Amino acid sequence: MKKFILVLVALLLAGQAFAEMRQVVDDAGRSVEIPTKPQRIIALHEALLALPLIELGLDVVGVYGRADDGGSQIDVDFIRSVFGDDPALRIAGIGPIGNIDLEKVRALKPDLIIGMGQQQAQVQALSAVAPVYLQATMAGGESGFSIETRLAELLGRQDVFAAKQAGYLARVAEVRGRLPAETRGKTYLAVIVFDQVSAVRDVSGAVQAIRDLGFTPYDWSSRVTSEATPGRGFAVPLSSEEFARLDPDVLIVMNSYLSPDQSPDKIRARLAAIAPGWNRFMRAAREDNIIFLNSAEVATPTIQSALHTLTAFEKWAGQ
Amino acid sequence: MTVTRALDGRLIMRFAGGLTIRLADVVALSGLSLVILLAAAASLTVGSTPVGMADAIGILWHGPDASDLSFAVWDVRLPRILMGILVGASVALTGAMLQSLAQNPLADPGLLGLSQGSMTALLVIFVFLPGLPQGWLPLAALAGGLAVGVLLVILVGRANAGGMAILLIGIAVETSLSSVTSILLLYTPPEVSLALADWMAGSLFRASWQSLATFTPWFALGVPAILFLGRALRSYDLGDQMAMALGETLSFSKPVILVTAVLLTSAAVSAVGPLAFLGVMAPHLANFISPASGRARLLLSAAVGALLVVCADILTRGLAGELPLPTGLAIVILGVPMFITTLRLRSARRMRGQ
Repeated sequence: MKKFILVLVALLLAGQAFAEMRQVVDDAGRSVEIPTKPQRIIALHEALLALPLIELGLDVVGVYGRADDGGSQIDVDFIRSVFGDDPALRIAGIGPIGNIDLEKVRALKPDLIIGMGQQQAQVQALSAVAPVYLQATMAGGESGFSIETRLAELLGRQDVFAAKQAGYLARVAEVRGRLPAETRGKTYLAVIVFDQVSAVRDVSGAVQAIRDLGFTPYDWSSRVTSEATPGRGFAVPLSSEEFARLDPDVLIVMNSYLSPDQSPDKIRARLAAIAPGWNRFMRAAREDNIIFLNSAEVATPTIQSALHTLTAFEKWAGQ
Repeated sequence: MTVTRALDGRLIMRFAGGLTIRLADVVALSGLSLVILLAAAASLTVGSTPVGMADAIGILWHGPDASDLSFAVWDVRLPRILMGILVGASVALTGAMLQSLAQNPLADPGLLGLSQGSMTALLVIFVFLPGLPQGWLPLAALAGGLAVGVLLVILVGRANAGGMAILLIGIAVETSLSSVTSILLLYTPPEVSLALADWMAGSLFRASWQSLATFTPWFALGVPAILFLGRALRSYDLGDQMAMALGETLSFSKPVILVTAVLLTSAAVSAVGPLAFLGVMAPHLANFISPASGRARLLLSAAVGALLVVCADILTRGLAGELPLPTGLAIVILGVPMFITTLRLRSARRMRGQ
């Protein structure tokens, strides 16, 4: 009798375990079985995947690009920049960039690994440890919080997202009330200064916040000859001449997220080196309609990045 | 098999069918094989999961199971070691072969543009067709390498080119393709570049039983072909005219050598990415260990190439967590000091001889 009960319990538990998995088709077209409620996730991109997952309250146990001690292997620590220095967010790395340590991945005991569409080459090796779901992060349709929205739907966290979004929208209304009335409906151009000036595309909390504040995107793509295929990355390089031809009402400028100095003076100096005289020929600059943002804080596709953007706009309005 | 003394006084082993090999080369090959075996055994114990030598041998003996130790040994380390040996041997063999063909000690698959051809084709896929199934990648790499190979055959054939001309044409092709790669990377979002970084630096991370199964047929096809070409390559070492005088049909053997080089290079690049400078270093180091020619030189180069990659992988995995070091870079870090030292020693030896 005892044995029968034990077998019955085992079967019930096994049945429950099976029920907790579901079959989905990822953005790479792969059919993959993932846990309905994953408990331990490894993200293969910090800014585009780990941060939205953390914001959704999920337990991210490992991130590609971080060292063993939880620090970033690259010059920018997006987790710390966006969420602050929280000891609970000192997430372990999974080996150096370029050489994922599968043993380390397995030691973290993930039940789900989430990567980008471009990381198909790594799927085969990682699938030996846990199911790998690939999410498109740079497809044409992505904008604002869409990556996080889709992750919330995939992992059953719509309620968490909705709660955060409600708080965010209240903050949008608050900041919008403080903006000068004449800025409503004005066109904006967001650029980021790497070795060249690049026009920022749609995938970021910053862009979501700027649009929610009532600004209209400046149509830069029809005025430049740079490769402007939608859905390819965070920003598109512009030549200095192309940059000079653009005429938005408001210019939003970020320094490279790899630059430790995000001060307006530093950004102005870099812009002057790349596009000499930019502050004379661009109307937004002449009228001082320039807003400086810290790219490490605002470039991720999270609500928290959008909130950082709102704070910067509030400060600008106060000035 | 008999052991006889050659005209220069050195001992040679003569096998049935006329195959001869110097005793010194046999000793060098045996020694290198033993060192590769020891390095492979040591490599089984290096990584983030603590595995002792006795544990590793026990796990290998009992076969794979569901434990972490078994995963580390069977699923991570052993495929990496085997892939390292095969890829290292392939790249070194190709380098030795191309050096004979071009009669230039600088020739290697990278310098002649073959690696670059494969890499550019794969980069085009990664950037423009990221959704293409993985199974297509070796074919794309092969297509890119073959395209460069065909271009080289046409250009070399038309110019009736000698060794230096082959090298110069190869450098021109390589430089052009490097520019294409740079343009592709320039317009590649940083997120994609990051995803490509591991492969472009040369990495054994993706080595698995499946990738070994994909690579091994190319290896099994290419290596016998190269060894078959050993006699022709020995003739090329003496120069084109001497090769013709010895009965080599240049219009046949040159394209065959190039195509074989393309096959092995493309397969290696699609498996682990480009392993820069290995094709130059390995034959020189092999030549320092035992100055041989023909098939013996090829086999010694292959052994040195395999050893370098296995050792580089030990360094990569040993330092993981401390230093992001791709295997390609570890090969250079290990190999270049040895390469420079051997060049200096050889030069000193030559001076003493004078």
